[in-house]
Amino acid sequence: MYEFLRGPMVCIAFLVCVLGLLYQFISLLRLTSVKEHIFYSSKAKKKNRNLLSEESLSNLSIKIKGTILGTEPFVVILTTLFHICIIITPLFLMGHNILMYESWSFSLYSFSESFTDFLTLLFLVCAAIFLLRRIFIARVRAVTGIYDLILLLITIAPFLTGYMAYHQLINYETIITIHILVGEIMLMAIGLTKLGHAVFFFFARLLIGSEYSFSGGSRAWKLKI
Amino acid sequence: MTENEHRIIDNCKIKEMLSQKKKMKKFLSVCASCGLCAESCFLYRNKKEPEYMPSYKAINSLGKLFKKKGNVTYTMLEEIKELAWGNCVLCGRCYCPFGIDISSMISWARTICRTQGVYERYDLNVRG
Repeated sequence: MYEFLRGPMVCIAFLVCVLGLLYQFISLLRLTSVKEHIFYSSKAKKKNRNLLSEESLSNLSIKIKGTILGTEPFVVILTTLFHICIIITPLFLMGHNILMYESWSFSLYSFSESFTDFLTLLFLVCAAIFLLRRIFIARVRAVTGIYDLILLLITIAPFLTGYMAYHQLINYETIITIHILVGEIMLMAIGLTKLGHAVFFFFARLLIGSEYSFSGGSRAWKLKI
Repeated sequence: MTENEHRIIDNCKIKEMLSQKKKMKKFLSVCASCGLCAESCFLYRNKKEPEYMPSYKAINSLGKLFKKKGNVTYTMLEEIKELAWGNCVLCGRCYCPFGIDISSMISWARTICRTQGVYERYDLNVRG
């Protein structure tokens, strides 16, 4: 079981992840090739080039007030930490890099074990707050389905089992096998489910049809950025 | 049962209209249900009820139509009407961190409802 999960299953998981994301990427490209009419033009804001002028700073503070950074700063900090941790922790984990070196004679930079441990804990705390938010805050609960909860649990599971394996809280061999399995499930879920927002997010930021868009939001990919 | 519940709904027309908006279906499918759009809606800020949250309105109007693949009853359209007209003014100020155009979805849900003779009768039902 362990050998299968460490060998062919890793390749399958990566393949499903990459092909799934590619499919999502292409289908989104197809759907967003025609330029749409945008009501809020960003041309006006481009006139003012002096970013430190009083007018610019005052515009900036007004702009921030209308975004989630202004309305929900705690969630913004939380989600930023959550997403930084979810990307950098597995990539720069010493154990993962050793495995990569053993398999492909190639490895990335590794953080110290104590720092990775801290990042994992930070991730778990953020994830726990997200879970509680989904359960106890009425407006989030109203749009949360069982599917959303399962996806959140799929995301949390590799970190939780990894933490348990590192600290050997229960039988190491069992927990590390579960850790690899749930990690592969998460990879596949990225390709096949809405966890694909890892890629979709950047798309959407350029598509958004309002003054908040990074590129003016013409909702098309035939645009001048 | 009221007379309205027996009204015939053109489900084929609804399906055809839904098929025109594949992009909206895609955008709905990636909604993370984060609830961060709530504060961007002035109606939500005033009422503080989840039913006024932009994502709730989109999921339970156009999202519902997609979920049912257009096979909806008159009663369901009436419920959608309550959300699409009663809880939204289509001001377009809703802000989604993923860039989902929520107001256009609610607008399309309204258009679909209108084709089935379900719409807000401002002359009969005075709100406010």
